[in-house]
Amino acid sequence: MDSLKQDLKKQIIEQLNLEDLSVEDIADDALLFNDQGLGLDSIDALELIVLLEKYHGIQLTNPEEGKEAFKSINTMAEYINKRKAA
Amino acid sequence: MKVITAYCNLRADECLVNGDVVARRDAGSEDSWFKQIYRQQELGYPKFYKMDVLSQAGYLASELIKRADPDISATYADDEIALVFANASSSAETDRRFMQTYEAGGSPSPSLFVYTLPNIVLGEIAIVNKWYGENMFAVLPKFAPGFYLDYGQILLASGSRALLCGWLEVTANSTDVFLFMVEERESGTEFNSENLLHLSQATSVGTF
Amino acid sequence: MIYIGAEVIVSPLGDNAEANWQALSENRTGIALVPRIGFGGEDIYLSKIPGLNGPLRFQQLIGKALSALSRQIDTSILSSGKTIVLISSTKGALDDSLHDQFGETCAAIMRQFKLAHLPIVISNACISGVLTLNVAGNMVQAGQYEHVIVIGCDVASDFVLYGFQSLFAVSDKPCAPFDAARNGITLGEGCGAALISSSKSVFQNAPLELLTGTSANDANHISGPSRTGEGLVRSVGRTMRKYGTGTEEIDFICAHGTGTVFNDEMEAIAFDRLSLSDKPLNSLKGYFGHTLGAAGVIETAVCMQMIRNGMLIKSEGYRNAGTSRPLNIILENEPKMLRAILKTASGFGGGNASLMIRDL
Repeated sequence: MDSLKQDLKKQIIEQLNLEDLSVEDIADDALLFNDQGLGLDSIDALELIVLLEKYHGIQLTNPEEGKEAFKSINTMAEYINKRKAA
Repeated sequence: MKVITAYCNLRADECLVNGDVVARRDAGSEDSWFKQIYRQQELGYPKFYKMDVLSQAGYLASELIKRADPDISATYADDEIALVFANASSSAETDRRFMQTYEAGGSPSPSLFVYTLPNIVLGEIAIVNKWYGENMFAVLPKFAPGFYLDYGQILLASGSRALLCGWLEVTANSTDVFLFMVEERESGTEFNSENLLHLSQATSVGTF
Repeated sequence: MIYIGAEVIVSPLGDNAEANWQALSENRTGIALVPRIGFGGEDIYLSKIPGLNGPLRFQQLIGKALSALSRQIDTSILSSGKTIVLISSTKGALDDSLHDQFGETCAAIMRQFKLAHLPIVISNACISGVLTLNVAGNMVQAGQYEHVIVIGCDVASDFVLYGFQSLFAVSDKPCAPFDAARNGITLGEGCGAALISSSKSVFQNAPLELLTGTSANDANHISGPSRTGEGLVRSVGRTMRKYGTGTEEIDFICAHGTGTVFNDEMEAIAFDRLSLSDKPLNSLKGYFGHTLGAAGVIETAVCMQMIRNGMLIKSEGYRNAGTSRPLNIILENEPKMLRAILKTASGFGGGNASLMIRDL
């Protein structure tokens, strides 16, 4: 679980061009779309969908599915594991 | 009279504001030239990293012009500064990068796609400044002072009180960016064809 | 006075304004299901012109429209130094040349029609068409040119389709602007053209009056509309104040209405703020799809036909109210004397533009 979260952080930083951030800067429970968290926006959400497919082979058919899953690194890791187990 | 009150030349290796060098490219750095300027100038606007090259260039040059002319935002109402930009290659460089994301087995990148239009840079400048004024982006064969003079005249006669104009030609192999501010003043470098051509070619070894 | 006339529409519904008007009055749509064209091989609804394929199609479409226009005007003005052509487009001939999306087309059109000046290309995302018509009107008003021909043109491409698919913005059914079940755009291709002139006599058929409008940026987001419709409110407000036009003088609004949840909601909010919610309103994208750089010109040309023929055209695709502020969506074609209409457009980059057309 831990290395998945580390990987996710690296992938997010790369895929979303979060240049000024390092893996240490992203807490597991930081709210990704909150201004106090990572302050991601709707386009970033779409890139997360691309990221899930590219790095984890998981397809989302619409952005609504991502709303719950993308809340934080924790929820993303949970979602990935759930989909992979299915 | 209409006067060019500030200008910025952004080239492949150097960046000038009002004719003075403010940044030189560090060829040894891993960072792109635009990132070097962004960091060096300490602009503190992380959205910069998401921008494509055209938007980065326009954003940087407009921020440098604002620093040279700090009263701009206070002098004008939020819809009185018109943005008038042009280039020759539209968003070709970003278009190319977008195509790369899906042509070799990957999927089309949404964050790149939204930049595959040349006018997005106007949106970025409007957002950071909260400017609700007129916008224009034209694609022309080369830098044409007449375009800015003619269209600028129209805008200044119909509600706009100042112009931020730009020639933004950024390709994989070249950077030719010239932004300038036009305002109504008693005196100064007149907004005319000769001066535009002259200033657009300013380099660190002097204008010619 | 600034005259506008000699309008041309080239779309899946026909090669000229009359043929398109005929189709619209029968509520026929140019949208059809195109098999396997999506990024993942999906079938996608598009509005495509039959037979328009292959290289140079962008240039050919412009040439076709300009030829059709020239047959409706005094052709001697084409080569005059007092005439200029403006082309409104987002991606031009991208499939022909990534690096030269417009240059070759402009040079070819200049040669073919013996124009005195190279056409100027205006590329401002989806507001380009309305913006370019305004530029034309302003140029004539300022005496910079006597005649300005505006051509709005965009052709379908994988590039654009895949891009909108990556945004999950492509509707899985023909687009339904302002409808409660709307879920995205339907892309279209086409070409619209019109002549703007200070001289009434160059038009073979009576022109209408162009009330040149304004544009305004939302200053909010590069690809999503402002939640408050700020830019659209400012643009329409300024346009109406420019002529002292009261809301009671507007007979009809041709909105942008792309069919996305956010755009249509933004427009409803903006028209509410402008006290224009009760005006008969439609989107034409249910007939033509979203033709991007061509949209503003094609749709303004339709507005002109509506004034000429005295008829409101139903907003195709709409069934149930789907915006938080009410709109007076046109449900069926209706004969009506129209004096003044408002056309609006909004687009990526936060742009918003508006103009008015008035009967003489």
